[in-house]
Amino acid sequence: MLTRIYEQVKPILNSFLAGLIGLAVGAIIMAIWGYAPFGAYDALFTAIFGSFYGFSSTLARATPLILTGLTFAIGVRGGIFNIGAEGQVFMGALAAISVSLLSLPSGIHVLVAIIAGAMAGAIWSLPPSFLKITRGVHEVISTIMLNWVALYFGMYAVVEWLGDPQRAEKSISAATTSRLPIMVSGTSLTYALFVSLAFSLLIFFLLWRTTLGFELRVVGQNPAAANYAGIKENYSINSTFILGGLAAGVAGALQIIGHPPTYALYSDLSTVRNLGFDGIGVALIGRNHPIGVIFAAVFFAGLNVGARTMQITAGVPLEMVRIIQGVIIIALAAPELIELSNQLLPAVRNWINEVKAS
Amino acid sequence: MFRNNSNITRFIALSLVIGLLSFGITIVSSLGINAVAQDKKKIAVVTDVGGRGDLSFNDMGFKGADEAAAEFGVELQVAQPASEADYLPNVRNLARTGDYEVIIGVGFLLTDAIETAAKQFPDQNFALIDAVVDQPNVLNFVFQEQQSSALVGALAAMTAAHYDYSKVGIVLGIEIPPLWKFEAGYRFGIKWGLDYYEKVTGEKANVDLLWTYTGTFSDVAKGKSSANAQISQGAGLVYNVAGPLGLGILEAVKDKLNQQGKEAGPPFMIGVDANQDYMGNGNKVLASGMKRVDRASYIAVKRAVEGNFEGGTEVLGLDDQGVGMSRYNQLVDFIQFGLKGDQIKEEDVDTIKDNWLEMREEIPHFVWTGVNELENLIVSGSLTPPAPSTEEEMKDVRKEYP
Repeated sequence: MLTRIYEQVKPILNSFLAGLIGLAVGAIIMAIWGYAPFGAYDALFTAIFGSFYGFSSTLARATPLILTGLTFAIGVRGGIFNIGAEGQVFMGALAAISVSLLSLPSGIHVLVAIIAGAMAGAIWSLPPSFLKITRGVHEVISTIMLNWVALYFGMYAVVEWLGDPQRAEKSISAATTSRLPIMVSGTSLTYALFVSLAFSLLIFFLLWRTTLGFELRVVGQNPAAANYAGIKENYSINSTFILGGLAAGVAGALQIIGHPPTYALYSDLSTVRNLGFDGIGVALIGRNHPIGVIFAAVFFAGLNVGARTMQITAGVPLEMVRIIQGVIIIALAAPELIELSNQLLPAVRNWINEVKAS
Repeated sequence: MFRNNSNITRFIALSLVIGLLSFGITIVSSLGINAVAQDKKKIAVVTDVGGRGDLSFNDMGFKGADEAAAEFGVELQVAQPASEADYLPNVRNLARTGDYEVIIGVGFLLTDAIETAAKQFPDQNFALIDAVVDQPNVLNFVFQEQQSSALVGALAAMTAAHYDYSKVGIVLGIEIPPLWKFEAGYRFGIKWGLDYYEKVTGEKANVDLLWTYTGTFSDVAKGKSSANAQISQGAGLVYNVAGPLGLGILEAVKDKLNQQGKEAGPPFMIGVDANQDYMGNGNKVLASGMKRVDRASYIAVKRAVEGNFEGGTEVLGLDDQGVGMSRYNQLVDFIQFGLKGDQIKEEDVDTIKDNWLEMREEIPHFVWTGVNELENLIVSGSLTPPAPSTEEEMKDVRKEYP
């Protein structure tokens, strides 16, 4: 009985310990460079939990990270190392801006923008899927490359087609009818949060309560067994890509229609840059579980929000804050990272050998 | 991760040791920190993602505020964003404390953040540099770039004439109304410079303008190809009005110099906004048409501290040193920024300074006298470079100054 409970809480315990180690190492680094770790951590945690304002800001930042975390988590569950969230977010954001050119009533417009974003993300996930299924191209390579294609396409699109004629630095803003309202006034938290949460629950249900989800997980854990059981591997892989693309696409759309004050893309895409990559960290911390991803995203966002105040109240410069963040995130991601690399390295080695042989 | 129990034990033990260790260090280090007396007035600068060390807007905005802080005995707080999502929260976090005499947003990327925060905190003073927000508690700073462009235009024309070049060039970014001021000022300056050249030397010089709107503020390669085209058509100087494309223009200049087996220009680049004279070892960028962001943040702090801060829009020009042609002391400032940001190496500093002095020495004295004279004429109001705001006005300028 006890061992059973231990098995259940083990991942949480591991993460907790890892987090402590991260904080401790961070404290040592700060102390070595002459900053007061107590003051800094005090500022960090006060910023996240110390006020309603702070917590709302954290949730606002977590909103897109939940979704990009899901993209990677779904990938791992389905046996795919999907680094493509970054580019899929860009595409989702572009689609959401494009449809704001339409004039629609407000409720429908929001829905159209989210769906357009989701579709764009999903479409952008198809090339790596096809390349993997038909040509055996490893998704790490294809998704990374497509991220760059999406980045430069996005910059081009913002400048050439979607630019704000008054202000060269940004795209047109989302139409007021397609914006999600602010939930807590005086903060950036919008109802986009609920879209993210709903999507997580949907993925949780899909993965553990449907045949598709079951097949997807079996392929992820053991393709040979899946094949033996008559599961169509290619279909499952394709579904994994598309689900991930949908999540990332929605993240991009929400970052436009639910992201005050600008509700637009800056022309260097800085509005949506790095969300996809941060999602990898979020997924690793959240143990690639849709519910774990929610908490991990909140934690990850908390570090970002805390970084803002650590500078101001504790006088720790941004660069140092980011080092501390990095240490904590690596520590938290370590358990999952080790497992994942055990899984991934042989696959990459095989792939390299195949390429060499051909 | 944990294959068996002994691993877990080891893991826990290790983390406990690290935890205790850091606890100890924390105690020791926090004892050393004394609470600073908080009776000083405070001001804040909010940068964009470029942050400190960008050798441009953010460094200059910081410098002005830093100097003002020292002069008026106030404490300066800088808030740097890790990403675009931090702009508004950074401004809000500062405003919420109510401790700051003024919060300065450096650069147009902060426009929406300052506007939103200004509405939310109507009693807080804000300043915004290089953009305009219409709120009673925001002091906006904009610049008369046509004036600095006129100075470098005159310099370019006279220098080109002196070295027997038949053209001067200008490479611009996307054709948006703010860039027209640069183009118009440059055209005006070229005309004035050629007239002045004829007056001084008695020779009529034929120097024409080559101008290119590249349609981008980020594609450095386009900067290079445009500058290449202009240089191969005989341009002796190319004015960079496209931000980072300047790197490409500099490359084109270097290529030409390599062909000729020379180190120093001509051909030269002319820098923009920041002091770009240090680029390319100090002898390839003859001058820069500067936008003095540091002046703006200095003025904002001064007014806030002296208690005469008022919302509105301040137009900075040559008369208040809000724009200008780069001089030696600004080169020194930027070398300092570059050293801090690891963009310039310590051992190159003397070379850059010597090269720069030598480069400017090479240009005949009357050219610099001419530029100074034009500056005086503009400051005194007897000459006004055109500042078109519509396409029609721009077309007229192009007709008048071909």
